Amino acid sequence: MANRAGWSPGPAAWKDDLTPIAAAEWNDDRAAHLLMHAGFGGTPAEIDALATAGLDAAVHSLVHYERIPNPRMQPFVESGLWDPTLKGFPESRPEATDRAEREGASMGIAAKPSGNRPVQPVSDRFFYWLRATMLETRRLGYWWANRMLQTTHPVEQKMALLWHGHFATHENKVRDYRKMVQQIDLFERGATGNLRDLAIKVAQNPAMLYFLDAQYNVKGAPNENFAREVMELFTMGVGNYTEQDVRECARAFTGWYFDDLAFKVDPQKHDGGAKTFLGRTGSFDGVEVLKIIFAQPVTADYLAGKIYRFLVRDELSPELQRKLGHVLREHDYEVKPLLTAIFSSKDFYSQASYGGHIKGPVEHLVTMLKQLGADAVPGVPDFNQGTIAMGQHLLNPPSVAGWAGGKAWITPGLLIARGNVARDVLVPDMTGFRDWNFNAGTDNVLGQRLREGLDVGAATAVNDPSNLSAFDMSALERDERFNTRISGYVGWQQAARKLIPTPRRAAQIDLSAIVFDSGAKTAAEAVDCLLWRLLRVPAAPATRDALVAFLTKELGTDTVDRAKTYMEDALRLTAHLIMSTPEYQLA
Amino acid sequence: MTVRNPLSGCGVSRREMLRIGASGVGLGLYGGLGPVPFVLAQASRASAAATSGRILVVFEWFGGNDGLNTIVPYGDPLYYKHRPTIGLKEADLLKIDAQFGWHKSMRGMKRMYDEGKVAIVQGVGYDQPSFSHFTSMSFMHTAAPNSGNEYGWIGRTASAMDPAGARDNMIVNISDSQTLAVKAQKHVPLVFIDPMRFQRALFSQEKSVVDALAAQAPVGDAHRYVLDVTKSAALASEVVRAAWGQYQRTANPDLRLLDLDKVAALIEADFPTRLYYVPLRGSLFDTHVNQASPHDRQLEYCSDAIAGFFQEMQRIGRTDDVVMYVYSEFGRRVPENTSLGTDHGTAQVNFVIGNAVKGGLYGKTPSLSNLVLGDNLESTVDFRQVYATMIDGWLGADAAHVLGQKFETLKLFRA
Repeated sequence: MANRAGWSPGPAAWKDDLTPIAAAEWNDDRAAHLLMHAGFGGTPAEIDALATAGLDAAVHSLVHYERIPNPRMQPFVESGLWDPTLKGFPESRPEATDRAEREGASMGIAAKPSGNRPVQPVSDRFFYWLRATMLETRRLGYWWANRMLQTTHPVEQKMALLWHGHFATHENKVRDYRKMVQQIDLFERGATGNLRDLAIKVAQNPAMLYFLDAQYNVKGAPNENFAREVMELFTMGVGNYTEQDVRECARAFTGWYFDDLAFKVDPQKHDGGAKTFLGRTGSFDGVEVLKIIFAQPVTADYLAGKIYRFLVRDELSPELQRKLGHVLREHDYEVKPLLTAIFSSKDFYSQASYGGHIKGPVEHLVTMLKQLGADAVPGVPDFNQGTIAMGQHLLNPPSVAGWAGGKAWITPGLLIARGNVARDVLVPDMTGFRDWNFNAGTDNVLGQRLREGLDVGAATAVNDPSNLSAFDMSALERDERFNTRISGYVGWQQAARKLIPTPRRAAQIDLSAIVFDSGAKTAAEAVDCLLWRLLRVPAAPATRDALVAFLTKELGTDTVDRAKTYMEDALRLTAHLIMSTPEYQLA
Repeated sequence: MTVRNPLSGCGVSRREMLRIGASGVGLGLYGGLGPVPFVLAQASRASAAATSGRILVVFEWFGGNDGLNTIVPYGDPLYYKHRPTIGLKEADLLKIDAQFGWHKSMRGMKRMYDEGKVAIVQGVGYDQPSFSHFTSMSFMHTAAPNSGNEYGWIGRTASAMDPAGARDNMIVNISDSQTLAVKAQKHVPLVFIDPMRFQRALFSQEKSVVDALAAQAPVGDAHRYVLDVTKSAALASEVVRAAWGQYQRTANPDLRLLDLDKVAALIEADFPTRLYYVPLRGSLFDTHVNQASPHDRQLEYCSDAIAGFFQEMQRIGRTDDVVMYVYSEFGRRVPENTSLGTDHGTAQVNFVIGNAVKGGLYGKTPSLSNLVLGDNLESTVDFRQVYATMIDGWLGADAAHVLGQKFETLKLFRA
């Protein structure tokens, strides 16, 4: 510890300068800065390895990761919730039940020939899949978070997370976790490859095709949803095309659709006529239109700016954005040369880039676990609930525009949530924890009433079944085709019976060993060890003093050696306090 | 069931306690509640003036609400010509006159309209409209169409009402993340969505330390921002939760208010907030495909929530002090599309609601025969005219200063 460089932001004049720093300007603090921004931070050992390697070798090993073995990456194991009768899943409950009324069956389930609620099994089936794909997507989020934590290719995962927010698709609308698995795979494989290729593959990705209504975009009746977003959000940014371009672009994508998990083109529905798009005329299809988009200089500027803001800092001058766009264009939209330029540059190590980035919630939580030396994403607290509380629901971005990022990550409520999630990780409530995957919320009451022997009418009553209102009484006598409230409950039960449970083990953390192994002898040195490990923006001296006083009091001694058998809890509370500071939210 | 008042033992009323919190006295930096009663008298006097003002609640309907299927021009045969399938039948409407009717789901708002409390403003838009949700809404948020502004129109209104930025919690934004409309130069908007999560969870031994985790000189803009929000969080979290805890015990449980219940809770607790901004969550207004079912549902939820909210204002005795303004980012295209839905359009319908409002139809109804910009409605009222009406006519601030130019206001408030 004694040999560590102090906090080393470069001079203010380095801002906006893309020339590389000199070899002599490299040190372990800058290695820590690099690993935090390029990936999800790391342990002192990982930082030291990069520091020792030197700038060029460090950047190269992060960006050109393909040959580094990555033994812990395993395919997603499905619970087996899907079966082929769910193909062509109805868009709405009315469509599901109407189909059964019309055709006698829907989603592989027949309506009953007689009796009350004859269409109930079909309605149940509809809700089964809504719950099933939602629950499996939570497992998928876990699987992905573990990849981010356990990978030896942190840049690959960091960039995949960027593309997920950039080409934003949410499972809530797609309603098929399998398509989201495909998408994560696409973002990982294309993480640092060619952006034009990535955009083309995204445009042909079934989740995206469904998400932006490709099935409604047909010759003679184009649907502009995808055409507009591909230019506005995915490539050029607003103001660089006309409404006419949107309409022509939509025509080029007509006939693109998907069959379950496969991309297809229907020549009958494709408009092969001439289009005039961004000043060029031809009988373009979707791929050609995307190539024209990537021939626009503004596309390189837009995408380079997006990458930079995600990795480095929120504030980006137009001048630097043009320089970054130039690098991307010079290399025909290959991402690796751009990343190498950014990570080696004076700008990246300048004062403005130190603490200029507010960590996103998923990035924040994965980083926290890495810093704490956790080997796996804990089951308690629930990873998804934790990041949702902090404002980011993995695989469910709020809209096609993705997460706003930057300052939008911090509000009073979200800031408080960050401290609370840190506490739950450090001091998990193992006995108070309830698994939300096996909790149907307000429908639990309904299940309880059914198990107590009440009939459907009384069980679904709004009021207490022993004291029914006139409204509920009239509902009891109603003859109905199906009851959707029951379906919500039954669907959850059916899905949960098949669902592979998420292991609910706490994070395996040993702060005592971390502090002891660092050579810390005093409470002050123990606090410094944690501060160095956790913060990328130094805490105020008064904050450090308060933490030292706190730890000394909790340990009942100033001496680490005297307290080593019982200091874990106090160290965890100290870490929680550090994670509650404004500085911990920054990188 | 008896209601337990946590402060009943110390002779401090809830209302007084909230005022203390709202004016920032007695709270540690990280939201630990300090000793309250001894600062009571001074604090409640200081905030009395701030709570007496008029309140504006903006309810944003993101997604692009289809105005033509909200206030339906059933008397115009062209309406049915443009919308042969999704046009709403005359028999289903809640009629206003021989020309217009409310969508059948909007019984709550129709009832308020019949009581003369709802102004309907038609044809609201701007020149050279954007058809992008995000761009158009950013124009609405900044009141700067085809341009921009660092601060939102509500944020700038707060600055006009309180130039020194001296009042805490002038703006409340019920949202996961801060809406651009409330971004302000001096005021830190109070942004939250779940009051019960709005609390630092601390073990007892940590409580004395959090306040010592002192603020420091920021290293940059992002750091400065997080430091500011830290302060605002500390000021607000305790009082918001106290208000919410009390409110849930007194509200009519059958009222579904969407997120307007949080506004009602804070108003009941005499929060000093003058500007509330509530963007609708999980909006179903973007009705490209099979529009009828989601649109029916969404309008019913919203209309019921608004009517329920004003019932709450009645119960609390604040109906005269509160006006609600409802807008979207644009309307939808006049002809239906081939997917039984409608695509992004131009002019929209706005609502202004409250006792202070002179109910009726305002603005010039856009023609269905003279469509512009590819089958769209021509806008007849600049949305900044409606903003100016709220700022100047209701809040008594200088609208020309906020909006950068003078706009003719609509005479929709009672004298």
